[in-house]
Amino acid sequence: MTTATAYLRSALFLLTALILHLALFSDLRVLGVAPEVPLAVAVTAGLVGGPERGAIAGFAIGLGIDLYLPTLFGLSALIYTVWGYSVGLIEVRIFRSAWWINVLVAAAATAGGLLVYAVLGELLGEANLYTDRLYRVMGVAAAGNLVLSLPLLGLWRWSWPGLLGEER
Amino acid sequence: MATGTRAARSRFTLIFLLLSSATLLTLDARDFEPLQRTEETLADLISPLRSGADRLFGPVGDAWAGVTGYDELKAENQMLRQELQELEGQKILDSDAVIRLESLLDELGLPYVLDIPNVVGEVVTANVGNFDRYSVQINRGSDDGIRNGMPVVTRGGLVGRIDGDPGQGHSRVTLLTDPGFEVGVLAVGTDDVALASGGGRGKPLMVAKGLEIDTEVALGHEVVTSGVDRSRYPPGIPVGIVTDIDFDEARLLQLLTVEPSANADNLSFVTVLLYDSLAEGS
Repeated sequence: MTTATAYLRSALFLLTALILHLALFSDLRVLGVAPEVPLAVAVTAGLVGGPERGAIAGFAIGLGIDLYLPTLFGLSALIYTVWGYSVGLIEVRIFRSAWWINVLVAAAATAGGLLVYAVLGELLGEANLYTDRLYRVMGVAAAGNLVLSLPLLGLWRWSWPGLLGEER
Repeated sequence: MATGTRAARSRFTLIFLLLSSATLLTLDARDFEPLQRTEETLADLISPLRSGADRLFGPVGDAWAGVTGYDELKAENQMLRQELQELEGQKILDSDAVIRLESLLDELGLPYVLDIPNVVGEVVTANVGNFDRYSVQINRGSDDGIRNGMPVVTRGGLVGRIDGDPGQGHSRVTLLTDPGFEVGVLAVGTDDVALASGGGRGKPLMVAKGLEIDTEVALGHEVVTSGVDRSRYPPGIPVGIVTDIDFDEARLLQLLTVEPSANADNLSFVTVLLYDSLAEGS
């Protein structure tokens, strides 16, 4: 598969994930909390593609979701970039991927990412992020992404079939 | 060697993306107009895809809400039945109250809200994230004459205002339940203009500034927008009913709890008042 095809698949995947989040997953709420699909996409990109691709995917989908959030434009992009990169780095250096570890890492990274988002957002002057509800959001969203990360990992492998193993 | 090169490239990419994000954050915080226009253009480009997906997956979301919210719906249904019974009994009193409110507004020289040009919009997305509980998006935008800050109402009264520059066919509404939402109000029959602010989802508004301790306000008093000079809102839009009164002896102020007259949860359609406070004032 050529690099161009890989990029095209990645772009298609990111756009589809964004649209699905806006039109479907944001309505599938449990205890008032929606799955954090964009964050799961960033994290799983890092798990499959390594730090660089995790950062790029996180930045791209972060910008996409920032278009629809009332918070500052670039806040999600910033955090998803760091998260995609960090998870990719941890995965490469430590875990080397049993599937169930990847899934657990995705869930833990979701909870951590939301906490950082809320804290950083508040530091940048956004209101209503660090509230009593935050820990419920972290718990439920992490559980949601635990389930979603499996198909997302598969879809990233479809997007970057030549990148597994050493090529990361 | 190759691993070292890849690691260096990864770090370079990370730094580049972080700087890009920080730049965007800074520009957005400073309301950099070209960036806002780019955001609108991008959202407009995605809009057709999103609308199609909304139509396709809308029933799934509705079904999910029906399943997961069954107990909530049942309780709400029971509460609504009870309210309906009370309303039946209060019908005559209510019509009297409406007449009284209108006559009071006339006395105060307040224009009737429905005379203001308006546009009805459908709520297309309640919220897409877990932190934006106080805003909704509607399918009307700058092409319909909507501008930043315009008031948004339903039949019950004020529900929010347009937040930020709208896109061509969509705009964001900040709801009056947002703790950061503030609106100048007055209790009908009084002259003191006070500041009401959102109290959070499902909670009443709070009036903690501007109402002097000797102003005569009673429980059940209607609260409307004040429409004072340079206010974003025209005068006379119903905001709510006073449900509790407290006193701040130190500051010699009254603290009111105001139950919003319009329900800002589960909105389907809203009306945007094409009200330009600066034009009105000139």
